Amino acid sequence: MASPTPSQTVGPFFARELIWSDGGKVLFAGHGDRVTLTGRVLDGAGAPVVDALFETWQADAAGRLPSGGEGARPYGYGRVSTGAEGGYAIETVVPGSFRGPGGETYAPQLSVAIFARGLLKAVQTRVFLAPLDAVKDDPLARAIGVPDRLRTLIAARDPADPKIYRWDVRLRGAGETVFIEF
Amino acid sequence: MVETLAADAHPPYLYPDYKSTRLRAPAQPLVRVAPSPLEAAGPAFPKHFVKDSEADLTTWGKSAPLGEKMVLVGRVLDEDGRPVRRSLVEVWQANASGKYPHPVDDHEAPLDPNFLGKGQVLTDDEGRYRVVTVKPGAYPWQNHAFAWRPAHIHLSLFGNAYAQRLITQMFFPGDPLLAIDPIFNSVPEAGRRFLIADLDLEHGVESVALGYRFDIVVRGPRATPMGV
Repeated sequence: MASPTPSQTVGPFFARELIWSDGGKVLFAGHGDRVTLTGRVLDGAGAPVVDALFETWQADAAGRLPSGGEGARPYGYGRVSTGAEGGYAIETVVPGSFRGPGGETYAPQLSVAIFARGLLKAVQTRVFLAPLDAVKDDPLARAIGVPDRLRTLIAARDPADPKIYRWDVRLRGAGETVFIEF
Repeated sequence: MVETLAADAHPPYLYPDYKSTRLRAPAQPLVRVAPSPLEAAGPAFPKHFVKDSEADLTTWGKSAPLGEKMVLVGRVLDEDGRPVRRSLVEVWQANASGKYPHPVDDHEAPLDPNFLGKGQVLTDDEGRYRVVTVKPGAYPWQNHAFAWRPAHIHLSLFGNAYAQRLITQMFFPGDPLLAIDPIFNSVPEAGRRFLIADLDLEHGVESVALGYRFDIVVRGPRATPMGV
């Protein structure tokens, strides 16, 4: 068996190389109500992480896995850099739930990978675009168990604007986001 | 799903000699899960996403960039040695003076008007890729006194599944700066050699460009039960 190539940090100098002008707009073959997932990435001191590469990968509004793309862009995939306040925004649709090979149901979620200077390998997680009581049977929710930790993966719908979901990522320390490994 | 070998190949999140990890490394244990059906698939980059010219970083300016011209070849494989086909490989790097065309790069080295340091290529049906560029320069950074990054090329890979996503750096054989680089040395010792390219003269261009080989292994297929 071949040894995997070790991960290394993305470093601070990727902005012109990996960022597409419309990379935060996620495309799909079908339609769905457009929403925005937005928030900040924060470090262990609560300071904004201003140089992270923030990626999302998701099913469409009906819960179908994306395949193919439009123009030069793959469906279902978003990629942006965080800004001066550590902020990011992904304009997309709320994904449908989908089933796993064992019949388990995955709640509406985006798979997220964050790369940054100081991250020798990506942090990976899943963010739910659904309230806490709607994700209890999700495989990751079951694996986490503790509601307080699971809450770090719930994107909260903005009471003033239902098209906005807010989710902050805390890389380390108090309120640390749950990260996963495969 | 337990992949002790794969986990050990990668650096830890917290590596205090690399100062930026101290506030950014997660402290809680990771939650281990099987890749979802979504993560066992991945974004598909259509063939026309990549232009052939984007695999040559030396031809987009008005004249040739400064520096030692080189050809980088390699294969992208999974852990069972199967080729990762039609998969996007993105590369970026400093110019021959060790300078990136990036606003936060404050190294007082010159930009090269003929070098942007950015390219991309899709692997072929054997998982092969080929990039033409110039050897990047080393550059100083602020991690510790007299800190210099060894020459390196950044690579971003998608594999055929989201769970295979990898960003890494390729280094050059015999570089004395490797010994003082905390980013390179964050990798457990047994894995460090997998970050160093081999000189491969025959894949260069006679009298024009040095050849280097860098094969890349992404995780799986065990982690991606849906198949890749």
